[in-house]
Amino acid sequence: MIEFRLESRSGIAPYLQIVQQVKHALRLGMLRSGDQLPTVKEVVGSIAINPNTVLKAYRELEHEGLVEGRPGVGTFVLKGLDGPPPHAHAALRRSLLRWIRNALEAGLDHESVEALFDSTFREASEEEIA
Amino acid sequence: MNALEASGLGKRYGKKWALENCSFELPAGSISGLVGPNGAGKTTLLHIAVGLLEQTKGSIRILGERPGDPSVLSRVGFVAQDTPLYKYFSVADMISFGEHMNASFDLAFVRERMSRLEIPLDQRAGSLSGGQRAQVALALALAKRPEILLLDEPLASLDPLARREFLQILMEGIADSGVTVVLSSHLLADLERVCDHMMVLARGRFRLIADTNDILKNHKVLIGPRERAGAISGVAQVLHQSTTDRQATLLVRTNGPIIDPSWMVNQTSLEDVVLAYLDSRSAVDANDHELHALREVAR
Amino acid sequence: MIWVAWRQHRKQALIEAGVVAVAAVLLLLSGYQMLHVFKSSGLANCLATAGADCGDLRDSFTNHYNGYQFMIPLFLLAPVLFGMFFGAPLISREIENGTHRLAWTQGVTRKRWISARALMVVGFALAGSAALAGLVTWWSSPLVSSSSSGRFSPGIFDLRGIVPVAYAIFAVMLGLAIGALVKKTLPAIGLTLAGFAAVRVPIILYVRRYYMTAKTVVTPFGQFKGPHPIGGNPWVISQNTIDRVGTIVGRGGDLNFDYLAARCPGITPPIPGPGQAFKQAGPDVVNSCINRLGLRLSTTYQPAHRYWTFQWIEFGIFIALALVLAWFVVRRVRRLA
Repeated sequence: MIEFRLESRSGIAPYLQIVQQVKHALRLGMLRSGDQLPTVKEVVGSIAINPNTVLKAYRELEHEGLVEGRPGVGTFVLKGLDGPPPHAHAALRRSLLRWIRNALEAGLDHESVEALFDSTFREASEEEIA
Repeated sequence: MNALEASGLGKRYGKKWALENCSFELPAGSISGLVGPNGAGKTTLLHIAVGLLEQTKGSIRILGERPGDPSVLSRVGFVAQDTPLYKYFSVADMISFGEHMNASFDLAFVRERMSRLEIPLDQRAGSLSGGQRAQVALALALAKRPEILLLDEPLASLDPLARREFLQILMEGIADSGVTVVLSSHLLADLERVCDHMMVLARGRFRLIADTNDILKNHKVLIGPRERAGAISGVAQVLHQSTTDRQATLLVRTNGPIIDPSWMVNQTSLEDVVLAYLDSRSAVDANDHELHALREVAR
Repeated sequence: MIWVAWRQHRKQALIEAGVVAVAAVLLLLSGYQMLHVFKSSGLANCLATAGADCGDLRDSFTNHYNGYQFMIPLFLLAPVLFGMFFGAPLISREIENGTHRLAWTQGVTRKRWISARALMVVGFALAGSAALAGLVTWWSSPLVSSSSSGRFSPGIFDLRGIVPVAYAIFAVMLGLAIGALVKKTLPAIGLTLAGFAAVRVPIILYVRRYYMTAKTVVTPFGQFKGPHPIGGNPWVISQNTIDRVGTIVGRGGDLNFDYLAARCPGITPPIPGPGQAFKQAGPDVVNSCINRLGLRLSTTYQPAHRYWTFQWIEFGIFIALALVLAWFVVRRVRRLA
């Protein structure tokens, strides 16, 4: 059974953290199709967080088609998450290197590059969910 | 129907107003944190909501009725500050007390709770530890199966472990029942993980009433050169500003994305935001329309 | 709510039961002994015989049991002790400990809460005070029969019959009311004692005599001080010496020798002037002076047969006061913040 953790100072919304932890588990095979996710009651009983947070996370996962909620029974995994196809990684790596080089050439220092990446990445994650 | 709502609520003691012009609406099923320094008026507000005090001005409705009305007495759960229990009663006596004072009372629930927490039924309530007393008081309040539960600083005198246990049990109880909760505290860290809504109270007035997620989304810390600290696109209001000779650090409320490259945009913590609103220099009044950002929690 | 009220007051009830039991044992033991002496000394028979002079037997009996006089103030205190023990701490302790924040946010209205608890403690006080009143009435009978004052006189009236029960109920209500006002236990207990005295004392001294119109009878002076011209053991409210036209010339039924000396030669004033030897004139001289001046004894009293009427009137008064206090207590508790 998966156990969740809440990082209170990470700046990432709690429900997103849960979504990410589920997806991570799916990717690594720790959660497989047919497995049951812990009930809301079990989650909040172990890490004291708002039940609504858990509900929102599960709803989001359901919306993405990864899990299915069966009323009266629980929430179950529908399908696993494959990693991206192997060649996608290499192509993405190459375009990222290009971007980093461009940024450095434009005059940004290392910290600025990181900060720009972080804030844009966060924006993109929230957009994706919204 | 809102589980708890108030309009223009005020309470005066002699010449001093302990609460002034307080208005809010808490939808059913929400978990709200009432935050503020000691003496802000949190206890006064909660006592008015449960019928222990009467307001001087304004109106308040709990589950649609007047506080203390016989029709809501058994539907409202309350745990007072310092969790008062009858010192000479045993835990079993306190359970019987709850059973005889309430029309519906889930005996099995309380007994199971006590055995899970390993609190002996024959122990005198006066000799329980702070954490155990809080758990007993919470169990008694939850056993009523209330529709709304109000807790006045339940974590105040608990050590960190006891606090975590209390919150776990509380959240479990909520997950079970969909009860609306109002929880007052001056410890933000605990409220942050647990509350949908934050109500920040200082000196009898609300400074901020908003959704927790919205607060984090709409407040940022900007770091940048001091001379650029003027009107920045995307900033609705600067709540706090500290400057050195070259640099300015601003805690702001946003109304759009900050794309100005001179500013490094950082996340802020709930604590920093709340502290900024509590600081009287920022002089904000939460009845300002823009700050009212309560959302219905769809269940 | 009944369970809750019992659980909160059961220790008090047990203490009360214990104290009353101890008192009962003491009263029964000493009472039977006293009764035995009352009969065996012949005093009982003597008192039952009309016209008999039981003076000597009486004196010897009263002297023998002189020590029991100390019981009187103790039993006069008993009713207020119920108030201080059951009434005063009930509301004040609840507020002092903050447990009212627990009790008044359950499923029971404040009115029901206070009504159940108040009725329970009043019930305890009623039971205890009735037991004590019955015992004390029985126990004190020989003493009262042999005394000159009788059961109707102030102090004795308050110990016997049904009035002690009314006092106790009143005291409990007074304690509740003061506790609700003062909200601190120790001051409430003290103020209950003070308040109780502030009501009881004026009633004994000034009010009781007016329950029914008192009777007055005028009798001649037989000797220096007349015996009771009235039958039974009435409550003598006052006795005065009056002259021919009815003016009071001496209070308390004693002869005013100043007055006599000023009007009759040969009678020495109580404090003789310089040069005068103190030797009071003989009874004949005094009597002829009295007759010449037309002095008589005026006695204002309540007849003995009105004893039970007075008991019921005073009982009613204190129960009425208790009911007014009860209304106040419920109102106050409902509005307490």
